Amino acid sequence: MEQSEVMKSVVKILTPWAKNPDALAGVSMETNILDDLKVNSARLVDVVIAFEDEFDIEIADEDVDTVNTVGNAVNLIMSKLD
Amino acid sequence: MGSVEQRSAGSHRLQRAIVRLAAPFWVPLAALYLRFYQGYRIEGRAGLRERFAQMRRESAAPLLVCPNHLTLIDSALVAWALVPVWKLAFLGNWLLWNVPERENFARGPWQRAATYLAKCIPISRGGKRDEVAAVLARVTELTRSGEVALLFPEAGRSRSGRVEIESAAWGVGRIIASVPGCRVVCVYLRGQGQKSWSDLPMRGERFDVAVECIEPKSDQRGARRSREFARQVVTQLKEMEDRVQVGR
Repeated sequence: MEQSEVMKSVVKILTPWAKNPDALAGVSMETNILDDLKVNSARLVDVVIAFEDEFDIEIADEDVDTVNTVGNAVNLIMSKLD
Repeated sequence: MGSVEQRSAGSHRLQRAIVRLAAPFWVPLAALYLRFYQGYRIEGRAGLRERFAQMRRESAAPLLVCPNHLTLIDSALVAWALVPVWKLAFLGNWLLWNVPERENFARGPWQRAATYLAKCIPISRGGKRDEVAAVLARVTELTRSGEVALLFPEAGRSRSGRVEIESAAWGVGRIIASVPGCRVVCVYLRGQGQKSWSDLPMRGERFDVAVECIEPKSDQRGARRSREFARQVVTQLKEMEDRVQVGR
């Protein structure tokens, strides 16, 4: 799967959780999921499980500690798809 | 044991030793503040303390204390409800580790010193993932080693004033998932006049408290497993809330 496809799916999954529509409109690999998109940190687990379902992968709790930006999430998913 | 874990264990030992020296001074003052300045009363306090002592006695399995969350002093009220003041002051392992929100309790140097002496490890809710993970790892390590920590399984004080299963915080689930056989003492505490969330309960408040010990189970893996554990704890609190409300 291409990085752009993964990015598109990640943004689609994040959309209902993002409380900052302006940041979502200009989303990039550098966009911070908690600080910029204002996703509630307690709900990050639901986002991660949505990634698992969408890409048919398994993500460990520790993997999520490396995810701050949309790019981190995309790279993590790409590494699981390899 | 890795060097990070060794450093962490060393800092816990140091904090525990300092807290043990300081607790005989500040714990009785805190208890006097709660009982006589604020005029708070815990309904059925003796029975609650006996139940909690029994839970600690009956198994050597790791233990977490998870209360509902409505006010800024819930952790103090829970400790006061579950443990006699003399034990909190003089028997160091009865004083629970606590994980307060840094923004509320540990902003300046004096607050940081106070939280240190109160056996706290501050956390920034919604902070950088690696910093949050480091605090969770410390609490996991403490729990594994037989220390008892208090964590709020809801993400902050309930804005609806009720336990909300959807608000189950991932962090608590992660700790339970990382500690095999972890038991959870669920504590539902609510002032009889407490309508919603607040900073402090009103003066003269009387508190109803319910306590249940559960051992969360899950066949899931990864993040899904942690979420399920957190939900089991919050679901238990919700059931206890329903029972307390019916009993009023």
